[in-house]
Amino acid sequence: MPDPIISINQLSKHFRVPVREGGLRASVVSLFRRKYNTVKAVDAISFQIDPGEVVGFLGPNGAGKTTSLKMLSGLLYPTSGQLSVLGFEPSRRQSQFLQQITLVMGNRNQLAWDLPAIDSFDLQRSIYGLPADQFKQTRDEFIELLELGSLVNKPIRNLSLGERMKMEIVGALLHRPQVLFLDEPTIGLDVTMQRRIRTFIAEYNRRTGATVLLTSHYMADVEALCKRVIVIHHGEILFDGELSCMVEDFSAFKTIGVTLKNGTADLRRYGEVLSQEGSRIALRVPKSATSQVTAQLLAEQQVDDLTVEDPPIEDVIEHVFAQGGAQEVSL
Amino acid sequence: MNQSGSLLRMLDFYWTNMKMAIMLEFQYRVANYFYMIGMVVEPVIYLVVWSTIARAQGGSVGGYTPGAFAAYYIVWTLVRNMNIVLTPYAWEGRIRQGRLSMELVRPIHPLHSDVAFFAGWKIVAIILWLPFALFLSLIFKPELHPTWYQIVAFFFSIWGAFLIRTMLLSLLGMITFWTTRVGAIFELFFAIELVISGRLVPMSLMPEWVQRVAAFFPFQWTFGFPIEALVGQMSPSELLRGLGMQALWIVLGLVSVNLLWKFAIRQFSAVGG
Amino acid sequence: MLYLALNYLRIGILNEFQYRVNFFVQMGQSLVSLATGLIGLWLVFSHTSELNGWTRPELLAVMGIHILMGGLIQAYIQPNMGRLMEEIQMGTLDYALTKPADAQLLVSIREFRLWQLTDVLVGVIVLLVAVYQYHGVVGIWQSLAFIAALIMGAVLVYCFWLILTSTAFWIVRVDEMVNLFQGIYAAGRYPVGIYPRWLRTGLTFLVPVAFAVTVPASALTSRLTPLTLLGTLALTVFFIILARLIWRLGLRNYSGASA
Repeated sequence: MPDPIISINQLSKHFRVPVREGGLRASVVSLFRRKYNTVKAVDAISFQIDPGEVVGFLGPNGAGKTTSLKMLSGLLYPTSGQLSVLGFEPSRRQSQFLQQITLVMGNRNQLAWDLPAIDSFDLQRSIYGLPADQFKQTRDEFIELLELGSLVNKPIRNLSLGERMKMEIVGALLHRPQVLFLDEPTIGLDVTMQRRIRTFIAEYNRRTGATVLLTSHYMADVEALCKRVIVIHHGEILFDGELSCMVEDFSAFKTIGVTLKNGTADLRRYGEVLSQEGSRIALRVPKSATSQVTAQLLAEQQVDDLTVEDPPIEDVIEHVFAQGGAQEVSL
Repeated sequence: MNQSGSLLRMLDFYWTNMKMAIMLEFQYRVANYFYMIGMVVEPVIYLVVWSTIARAQGGSVGGYTPGAFAAYYIVWTLVRNMNIVLTPYAWEGRIRQGRLSMELVRPIHPLHSDVAFFAGWKIVAIILWLPFALFLSLIFKPELHPTWYQIVAFFFSIWGAFLIRTMLLSLLGMITFWTTRVGAIFELFFAIELVISGRLVPMSLMPEWVQRVAAFFPFQWTFGFPIEALVGQMSPSELLRGLGMQALWIVLGLVSVNLLWKFAIRQFSAVGG
Repeated sequence: MLYLALNYLRIGILNEFQYRVNFFVQMGQSLVSLATGLIGLWLVFSHTSELNGWTRPELLAVMGIHILMGGLIQAYIQPNMGRLMEEIQMGTLDYALTKPADAQLLVSIREFRLWQLTDVLVGVIVLLVAVYQYHGVVGIWQSLAFIAALIMGAVLVYCFWLILTSTAFWIVRVDEMVNLFQGIYAAGRYPVGIYPRWLRTGLTFLVPVAFAVTVPASALTSRLTPLTLLGTLALTVFFIILARLIWRLGLRNYSGASA
């Protein structure tokens, strides 16, 4: 069993935030006496990631995802706890450590705006000190994988948002890092582009065995790429395990899709009607009642087609947050 | 990683970065020219004022004739260009908008990028300046007869000036890690620099005591010295001594910047920026 | 019309009061700028007793007027013209055009940067010190001529700015040209007489720095002939009309464009 490549133990990050109140009197008082609140962005979290894993980091805004990523990449010093990435202490920001990681934040441009991407790639080569032939091979490999072709010769400002993001990702991976920290990499992109980038990351993981820690708002990203998810909320880990397990444990409902033979009907007595389009009706029933309701429907209605599905992951996540409790289920 | 390997790598990084800056700034040569034209008003004012005084005082003042003033202030425009480095005001945006974070995740110190980029830009500036200087010379008729070793010393001194000023303004900019109310400090710095660097007037026109005080500051080595190296009558030994002083200030600057950076990063990594 | 101007002024002031700390920052900058100017002046007079016929108190007066006028430009003229240019380029000028007041007036008085007036304060003080040190006579005629010249100078600068900004109606990118004004205005720190003829002409008719600073200073120091003063008046009237014409031409072009 190989050693974990990322290891976090009781990691915390607390911020002291000055309290600001409105009104004249409060502002005068605040000149003399500053009151501080402690915001626990990350509160004693622990987990380990093995080499080659692709882990999804889920949570609403302000949950602590980006703070955790920043600590893992050495940008923030932890308040307490231990963390180790590739055997290094990230906050020491040693050159050999930085040489092997990459941090990609969606919406952030690293490449030179007015120059073609190919020139920025050359700059990446010089930053990471990559041997020329190895660099060319990697670069051409990525260009082909993402079908960039002659786009690399156009100034970045002339590219569409999706094309730009592709370039950013290529630029971030040219040095073949072993650990990828991806913060919302597909944000703002259209569906096709999102899929392209997802495929690329999966392929990179497959070819290099790199470890990927990915945060995203889009369930599709997580579903497509991550077997394992870590759910974080209010700085605490609510769930750490396989995606499928999470769905099983936390979803209390199933969705039954019914297509009736003729016309429509009122199926409210079977369960909650989620949508009704002509003869196609979606019902939401408690998990425990699924088989019973299914049998009833088949017996009592003229059913043309019937499916039983898990609820969308978004609902599951919402349920996890609503529960709020730190139900850690590790596998 | 062995020493020569990492030196080669650093040189490669600098050259690649400079290439990019050259490509970029050449794209923007029109904007660069407009900026140069706007910049020329300042030395022209000084030139005219002091030439007027020189003529009224019987041909020269402080050892400078109108022709010498013309030479001083035309060379001034190149030195001024070499002095323009990353403004300390840029640090606020860099920190708050997360650009610094992205640079910190890479294995090269962000300041290397700054120096390399501006160095490339300066090459473009020098090339663009030459016809500009010719044009100014036709109008203001400078007296300029430098020896070959003056020209060589001048070439080295303008890069020395660039490096010293880079250090100084980086130090200033790093203050932004602790407070954003930096405008007053910056403006005070620029005002002092204006007066005792040789930008306002040649140092020899200043009273004795000012010249003595100015010797303790690095400012004259960023401005007055390079100009005087080309325009003045310094002997080779004086030129060498001046270049040596520049080297000293560069080393002092490097040490200070590295030291302050350690504290700055600690501050940044504690609060996140 | 005056009522409207006062209203905008009031709003501008109230707005600025939100940022009290700006006063000290601005004051600090004005003082630093003043110190540099005084050092420059002192340096000049450590080597000579007069510059092109102007003595030290006279040059101090020029500096005071330069600072004062600069403050007015920064507080009133530049913010409005800057906003106007932006709105022309973005196409959002329409809001101003649909208001019942005259468009030119509106775009000229909307903005007011209160704290830039620290320069006016500093300038006035410098001017008073200069007058106090002045060995000549500053009588009633000089003072009146001075005030008249100052007002006309301000109007001329305004007209110049309006014409320059109005070119944005045709050439969208004028930013860089406008940036040049700041640098060229610095030339007004000294009486334009010292500059070579070609530069002097430029500073008089192209960019009216001479009228903003040198002419009022000349009025104060009895250098101004009634003929020159009348000439200035004629020029001012001419430029008011010219600016108005160009403004209306530009407006027509603009409104025609965004149908």
